[in-house]
This record gives sequence, structure tokens and C-alpha cells, in this order.
Amino acid sequence: MDALARIKQIGMPRRNNELWTFFPVASIPAPEFPEACTSPENYDDENDFAALLPVACNARPMVQDIAENANEMAMLKCNSDFGHTVLNVGKNATASIEILDNKVTHEICAERFDIHVGENATVHIFFANPADPVPMRFRHFRITQAAGSKVYFSEIEQGNGIRRTSIDAFLEGPGAQLEVRALNILGGTDSVHHRLTIHHKAPETRSVQFARNLLGGTSRASYDGSVIVGDHCTKAFSSQLVNTILLSEDSSVSVKPVLKIYHDDVECTHGNTCGELDADQLFYLVSRGIPKEKAKELLTRAFARELFMVMEDSPAKKRLEQVVSAL
Amino acid sequence: MLSIKNLKASIEDGTQILKGINLEVKAGEVHAIMGPNGSGKSTLSKVIAGHPAYTVNEGSVTLEGHDLLQMEINERANSGLFISTQYPTEIPGVNNVEFLKMALNSKRAFLGQPEVNDDEFKKLIEEKMQLLEMDERYRDRGVNEGYSGGEKKRNEILQMAILDPKVSFLDETDSGLDIDALRIVAGGINHIMGPDKAVILVTHYQRLLDYVKPDFVHVLRHGKIILSGGPELALELEEKGYDWIEEK
Repeated sequence: MDALARIKQIGMPRRNNELWTFFPVASIPAPEFPEACTSPENYDDENDFAALLPVACNARPMVQDIAENANEMAMLKCNSDFGHTVLNVGKNATASIEILDNKVTHEICAERFDIHVGENATVHIFFANPADPVPMRFRHFRITQAAGSKVYFSEIEQGNGIRRTSIDAFLEGPGAQLEVRALNILGGTDSVHHRLTIHHKAPETRSVQFARNLLGGTSRASYDGSVIVGDHCTKAFSSQLVNTILLSEDSSVSVKPVLKIYHDDVECTHGNTCGELDADQLFYLVSRGIPKEKAKELLTRAFARELFMVMEDSPAKKRLEQVVSAL
Repeated sequence: MLSIKNLKASIEDGTQILKGINLEVKAGEVHAIMGPNGSGKSTLSKVIAGHPAYTVNEGSVTLEGHDLLQMEINERANSGLFISTQYPTEIPGVNNVEFLKMALNSKRAFLGQPEVNDDEFKKLIEEKMQLLEMDERYRDRGVNEGYSGGEKKRNEILQMAILDPKVSFLDETDSGLDIDALRIVAGGINHIMGPDKAVILVTHYQRLLDYVKPDFVHVLRHGKIILSGGPELALELEEKGYDWIEEK
């Protein structure tokens, strides 16, 4: 079944669909679908509307191959409302990919990224630019990782509408590692939603999810993260941590960790904190003469900065820290 | 210089902690405040600093004639008050040097002075770190982040040295310090101290006062200063404890 047929089969997202539990589904504008889907690919198993939408709308696939042992840096920018990027990273290659906002003309844009990472390859994928003011943006990533590969996925969302990032990751080879770091700095009526499913399908695979939210105004964030550890995944490791600071009375966050573990010899953790700026830290800074508003900015920036501090030096880290410093 | 008159303060549930503190501190003086646990010593420092957990019910606190209690917390600091708390707060993600520079520039802005330039600040911090025998690790870490108790206290004195306050209120600065660190920190306090400045030390032990010689020693108990004397009083307290004062 092609993507368009599959969308027609599953219908528009609804809140009773667990992939869209926290998303304001009523805000999704009815897409103008083409008469036929040009992509012959089979999407029988795809359940996420956001993953199907670009393909169903005939986004022209852009295929980028990174050769074995290569070391490449690239920027990806899609020139229409709907984008479909296929990235094949060869064995032992290193790639740093920054995703730039696409050119948008309508009320909704959607991009799909299919990323195949070869053995022992290392890939940094990140986006940090302030988003263009498009009412709604979906970004879906389907990541498959071979043995010993490492993927570092990092993003900074600064709102400007309704945003949803979804990731389906498949750690297929032993020792494959995925790190996801997401920072949401929202105000006004912005809302940002994350939906992740990480499949550990081999021994000694490792996944780390770390998200931080700074929410002002009436903004909303949600984090729906599932980890599925297969029955033969000895020594798999998975952690999920979501920290939120509510900067206003009317902001809100929803977090849903889901762990499905089919093996005993694994380590899987999840945690979630939510609060205000630390009063003791604020007092300490102000008691050294720093005006309260500046002290709040300093603490806010520190909260954001901590998310990326432990990353190894890379172009991605440099870019992310640059954006945080400018907050 | 610092004048505290009949200061009464309470916590949120109405319990009064300070029950009428009177203290006059002149320029060039070192005062030591001693007293049993829970007597109100730390509360006194926090109330003067303007901690929001406390309500001042009565009394006044002035610094060179200016009413501190009417000032915002940062204005008190920028007017020349420095409070070092018993447990300095850790602030991960805020670089120690960046924080110090921002604090110094806040003070300069308050006093109508231009911002410190990079070379001037670099020289200043190097000089003060050398004074306190602090290594380079302090530069790159978050404020007090992962510091040992002694390192935190040393970092407090570094801040004091950079901000150059008129009155410093140091709450148990000697706790957590080993013998060498105590000597270094005390040396730092003595170095910063001058004829136009004053220091108030809160301590439980004579050992800090062996290095930083007090002009006056006060005993605070049940929220009041119940006895004042010269440096010999600290030695007497070390020997006899506090009960004899109440009995007296």
C-alpha cells in the first residue's frame, strides 16, 4: 500500500490514537492530497500520519549517500512544503548534518528523513535555527543503525507555531548507540510535541533521551517516549529524562514514558521533573548584585546549556551552544 | 558603618527568630558572632541580605546611613554588603568566571562606573586566585558545582575579593576547611580587610579567630545578642561553652 492509500486507511490523527495523545489534532489543516501517489514504496507498517504525509503529498525524494570511511558535513534544506530526504551513511563514515528550515508557503509543512547508518559510522543530526513562522510543522525521522554505529540527534525548538518531531529508531546491530537531546524554549501560544519509539533489537545497544523544556506564556510541550527492548538484547541500556521549568502559570507539559522490556539483563531508566527556577540559586545570584531579571536569564540559559555540555566537541555542539548563548 | 537596631524577624509561619538584635560595626573592625546551633546567626545574615523567606517585623539596618531594608537584594550587595552563606549554592551551567564578571559589572553599573574590560578582569581574577591559591579548575566549572565544602568556602572568598565589599558577613566560613585551607582563606580575609572595611565572622570555633583577630566577640542566643566582649570572650566560650552565660 502506498503512502496516500495508507493515510486514507488510517485517517486523520485523533487524540484517541496513542501516537497523537497530546497533540492539538483539531488544529491540523486538511491537507490537499494529490490524486495519486508517485512513490511506489510500501507503507503498510507505517502508522504515523506525519511520517506518511510528505510521501503522500509527493515530496520529491532527495537521496544523499555518504561513502564508506568518508567525513562529511552538510546542510539540508527542503524547498517546498513537503520534503523527503534519504540519507545513507556508509561503514565507518562520519557525518554532521544540519537541517535548515524549509521553504513554506502553506499552513502546514512536513518532512520525512530516512536515515540508514552503516557499521561503526557516526552521524550528528541537528537543527537549531529559530523556525520560520509556519503554523504547523512535522518532522519525522526513521533511523536504522547497524552494529557499532552512533547517532547523535540534537535539536533546539524555539516555537513559532505548532511543532512535532517524531522519531522511530531501530538499533539493529550490536553496540549501536542513539542519543537524543531536545531543548524547547517556548512562549506565547507555541506548542512542541515529541513522539519517539526506540527499538533495541540487538545486544549492548544504548539509547539516551534527554529533553529540557523552558515554557512561558500559555505554551505547551509534550514528550511521548517509548523504548522497546527485545528478548535477546543482553546488556542493553536505555535512559530517558525530561526536565521542565515552567516560567509562567499557564504553561504546561505532558510526559509519557513507555518501556516495553522483554529481557532481564538490561538497564532502563526514566525520569521526569517539573518546577520553577530554583529560588536558592536565584537568591544567590541576586545577593551578588546581579539584577533579578538578569539572574533569571542566566539561570534559564544555564538550564539550557547543561543539556549540551556533556556532548563531545563537534560542529553540532558548537552550533547548539552558539544558539543557547544567544538566548 | 553597619548599624543594626532592634532587628526582629520571623519566618513564614510567624515564628520569630530574631528578637531584637543590636549591633554597631565601625570601619576597620572585625566582629565575631558566636552562639549555639539554632540561635539565629545564619538567619541574621540572611535577613540583612534580604532573603525572601524572612519578614522583618521591626528595627532597622543601615549601611553608611543608607537603609538596607528598603533596598532590593542586589542593591544591598551593590551598596557594599557581602554575605557568605553557610552552604553556598551550586549553580550548574553558570560558569564561575562569567558569573564573577557579571556580578562585578552589575556593581559597576550601580555605581555609575563603566564595565570592566577583559584585560583588567583577567588581571584581577588571576591576582585574587593566586592570593587564595586556587587552581585553574575554578575557572571552567559551574558556580560551586561539584566543589568540596572547602572549595566552596574558598570560592566565596574569591567573590569577596573581586567584589571588594565594605561590609562582609561571613557565615561559618571556616567549616569544611582543612588546616591549610583555613590558613589560606583567613589570609585572604585579612588581605581584603582594610581600615575602610568591616568583617563580621560567624563561627563556632576559636581556630578561625587565631588567624583573623576579632575586635569584638558577641554571643547570640535565642535571637538576641546576650553578651559582648573582646577577643578573650571567644577563648572563654571555647573553654566553658554557652550555658554559663544564661546561668549568669
